[in-house]
Amino acid sequence: MRSAEGRGRTLDEAVDAALIELGESRRNVDIKVLNEGTEETVVEVTVIDQAGASGAAAPADGKGELARALVEGLLKHMGVRAQVTTRPGSEPMTLDISGRDLGALIGWRGETLRALQSVTNVMVGRHLGEGERIIVDVERYRQRREHTVREIALRAARQVKMTGDAITLDAMQPFERRAIHLALEGDPEVTSSSIGEEPERRVVVGLRKPAAE
Amino acid sequence: MTGRAAAVRIRKAIALVNAVEDGAGDEEITPTEIAEAIRDCLELREVDDVANVRRYLGEALDAVSDGMPADFVAMTLYAALGALQEGGATSSSN
Repeated sequence: MRSAEGRGRTLDEAVDAALIELGESRRNVDIKVLNEGTEETVVEVTVIDQAGASGAAAPADGKGELARALVEGLLKHMGVRAQVTTRPGSEPMTLDISGRDLGALIGWRGETLRALQSVTNVMVGRHLGEGERIIVDVERYRQRREHTVREIALRAARQVKMTGDAITLDAMQPFERRAIHLALEGDPEVTSSSIGEEPERRVVVGLRKPAAE
Repeated sequence: MTGRAAAVRIRKAIALVNAVEDGAGDEEITPTEIAEAIRDCLELREVDDVANVRRYLGEALDAVSDGMPADFVAMTLYAALGALQEGGATSSSN
């Protein structure tokens, strides 16, 4: 499997650097953040094995193939022409939907995508183990959103360190808030917490208070 | 603006259910809270303006009471939201 390391001032710049080296588009790669600092971000970008990612290679994982076939059938009934593949090595199991003009499948702030994921999990549920779930992603929307909110978090953290004032971010979905908490958990100077109620729950980034002596 | 308030409340209930599944790890949501959010929807008279909305909400409430998986509850709530929108309600989506 081909992979490359990318460095940049921001996450996007680092990913772009690696993509240029690989000559690939974001659709065909998995991105792993190796280091996310205020000065530099380092990522490892790995090209997805297209043969391995296709449904044809899925028989080794019966659940993956079953879920893939069910979602493909569902999309067909919806009149959506798209390709469904299982993301290799993903944990939890992730189904990638790709095709043209799939914006409607994502919906406003990912609402339709979230609904599609719920339906998928209900359809496949009885074949899954306790606590096992399937993530559905359209054109890597979830992955891109996670990267975007991480960028927002790092920018907010820089600003908080400069001004000392806490910043309240926009209302976000749980997976986005989690990405922010994870992005900032290693930063000794700032802290993140959530306030408000769903669906208006927001992350607040503030200065970490020094430990009491 | 038939259905706007109902759509907002249904979305809130869906957000609570999704938060259980997607867990950001920054809150603890109980089935009681989800049931309360669904009851808030059922209190609105406008859920009777469109066919099936009350039925789907009732099924979602039953699903919470029966301890059904969050995805099942979410799917039933999406059905209610869809019925509301197809019934001519306005919404902020798309």
